[in-house]
Amino acid sequence: MTVPVGSGPSPGADASGTGPTTLPAGQAAPTGPTGPTGPTGPGIHLFVPMLHRRDAVGEHTRTLRDQLVASGVPSRVYSELPDPETVEETRPYREYEDDARPGDVLVYQVATSSEIARWLANRPEPVVLNYHSITPPRFFAPWSNGIARLQEAAEAELAHLAPKVTLGVAVSAFDAAELRAAGCPQTRVVPVATVGPTPPTPDPVEQARLAAVAEGWGPWWLSVGRLAPNKAHQDTIAALFVARATSSPDAHLTIVGAPSEPHYAGALRRYAADLGLAGAVEFVTGLTDGGLAARYATADVLVMLSEHEGFGVPLVEAMAQGLPVVAYDAGAVREVVGDGGVVLGTKGPRRVAGEVDALLGDPSRREALVAAGSARPAALGLDHAGTDLVTVLREVGARAGGPAAAASRGAGVRPAAPPSH
Amino acid sequence: MCARVEDVAEEHGADEDEVGERDDGPTDGTGAAGPDRYAGMPADERSLLEAFDLLAPQGSLRWNFDDAMRRISSPGDSPSGIEPWPGLPADLWDRGRGAKASERVLGDVIRIVAQELTEFTLRTVEGSQRARDHHVGPAFGAVWDALRYLAARVERLEAATDPTGVRPAELDLPVADATAWAGAIPGWLAGSGDLPAVVGELGSPAVLTAVAAGGASVEAVDPRGAPAWAAWGHRADGGADPRRLTVEVADVGDHLRRLPARSRSAVVLSGGVDRLGLAGRIELLDDALRVLAPGGALVLLVTDQAAWDAALVPEVRDLLPGRPFDPATWALLLGHRGATSVDVHRAAAGVVHAVVARTSR
Repeated sequence: MTVPVGSGPSPGADASGTGPTTLPAGQAAPTGPTGPTGPTGPGIHLFVPMLHRRDAVGEHTRTLRDQLVASGVPSRVYSELPDPETVEETRPYREYEDDARPGDVLVYQVATSSEIARWLANRPEPVVLNYHSITPPRFFAPWSNGIARLQEAAEAELAHLAPKVTLGVAVSAFDAAELRAAGCPQTRVVPVATVGPTPPTPDPVEQARLAAVAEGWGPWWLSVGRLAPNKAHQDTIAALFVARATSSPDAHLTIVGAPSEPHYAGALRRYAADLGLAGAVEFVTGLTDGGLAARYATADVLVMLSEHEGFGVPLVEAMAQGLPVVAYDAGAVREVVGDGGVVLGTKGPRRVAGEVDALLGDPSRREALVAAGSARPAALGLDHAGTDLVTVLREVGARAGGPAAAASRGAGVRPAAPPSH
Repeated sequence: MCARVEDVAEEHGADEDEVGERDDGPTDGTGAAGPDRYAGMPADERSLLEAFDLLAPQGSLRWNFDDAMRRISSPGDSPSGIEPWPGLPADLWDRGRGAKASERVLGDVIRIVAQELTEFTLRTVEGSQRARDHHVGPAFGAVWDALRYLAARVERLEAATDPTGVRPAELDLPVADATAWAGAIPGWLAGSGDLPAVVGELGSPAVLTAVAAGGASVEAVDPRGAPAWAAWGHRADGGADPRRLTVEVADVGDHLRRLPARSRSAVVLSGGVDRLGLAGRIELLDDALRVLAPGGALVLLVTDQAAWDAALVPEVRDLLPGRPFDPATWALLLGHRGATSVDVHRAAAGVVHAVVARTSR
């Protein structure tokens, strides 16, 4: 079915599809209540287990919804469980059965287990998997069998759903390969939509405070990422231990990230304390964008030894902020860092400490890496990742006969990247 | 821990030449969290990193038990229609009579868990038979694991509460031989009604015989499964009637708890009353008084403290959970729990005293 332009909500309609606003394409749409009624026409609707704020998948989902709405495509967020903080932005996914319109496209944000997956597998609408990487359960097994089982379930759900979807959209070639391995018939790579090419401005007050704190310190290592076992923060702590025992006795480490597994988070603190590093390793969470940017601006190096990364947002953030990167070659890390940082094939503590020491002791090499790193966000296409994703989804909508194609005629979006295989 | 990396190297016999770095090139990009994670790494670095792994909780009894329970609760995609186990009942501890890890309460809780798991298993079997699928295997495996780890946890708890690991049954404790009171028991029970009587623990044939000789139907309870060697009741006319005696292999507390209120004429307790903790003894009294009909009699046959102490070496006496109460203490407790009259009969000879309480009519 082809629906003529004007039959659906006009460009700039809010997320509820209840009326137009004067919102230019690309500008964030209102994120307030979606209202009790369903969309007035076919749309591209987003499904997520829970919609969290200050969460990579949650922010990606909200940004995508806003971009869809801003480009004239009705879009709602449906969730399995309500998050009190975003409850007015979501509807229970079962209610979609009453809201469904011919020509709809359903986009599932995959990162963990949800009953939505099996429900979607039986829906008649075209389904797009927007894959954010499932952390393999083996990482959680030593720490939380509950989370490990959840991840196992997520993998099973992915394997069940992937062969039935119209398209899989991954944030990296690494993730796209995982999708294909799960049976996804076609994939495309569109980087994370929430990471723009322009880094946030460091909070000047915080930056000044940090500079004062670090007065007299040796190299300041920074590591950013949830306190989750796959992030392997303990390897960074071990490397810091070696660095302080050998070349850099005053080196310090700040780990920025919220605990996602309490036993693991507690073990990290205990490990640091057992190694005599309680005063040298700092755990920080709850930073604002400006506060995090101030950390990037003040630290000497980002050390990221994660063992499973679907993308690695902190890598891009650091490179954009001019912070040199030393990272372990796992998942999408090499794909994201490219020539913009040091990518290690092994990460023994001596090796990591030595690489950091060598990099910081060679100003010209450091400057060259920083220059190369600053070009990486553009090289990755982050300046148009959001519109690319909207375009990809619209193409699916057009094939489904929905108004998404019609709406795109006036939105001036770029054509999407070709399929990755 | 707080070790220097050089110390670690020396401790493992490695020198600086041996700990040279090797770059094995890029990985396959999948990372690794298994035992090969430190493959090729010098011993001191491996030791440094493995120290962190030791902080992970995996492998504990609690971990394994929780894991098994989760596998039961979430058996996965089952087209057979097998319902997942709904989990431990919310009133588990209420039904277990409290959250204390006493021998009695722990037994109650475990009994409930085992019962729930058994019922789940039966449902699983039925569901599987309906669907003829292969889901029954994993479900059985999970139940088996859950019980196995639960048993191990119980053993650990028992070891914590009873460090000697000595069971009272293994000790040369004074037998609560109430033969001396056999002649008196029919008199104490006389007038308590025509309802059945309960005899807990078959420690003394004379007691069982004495209760039965009074003309009552007798339910005997024995947790150890002792044969019903005195399983001959006697009708009021003196004739033998084996059908009138029921022997149950169970804890007397369990037995009493299942009985309706005011459904028994008499309860005779011995043995266990000397070995329970205070909370357990009060529970037992409450259960016994609850099942007694108005005017019913509760007879406690309790061991003399001095005889008990004399039978044990000091270490066992101190560490063994439970010690007999003096009959006066029992009388005090019974008064507090609602018995209307309590008579204490101290043994002129032998090591067993009797405490007889009655409920109000």
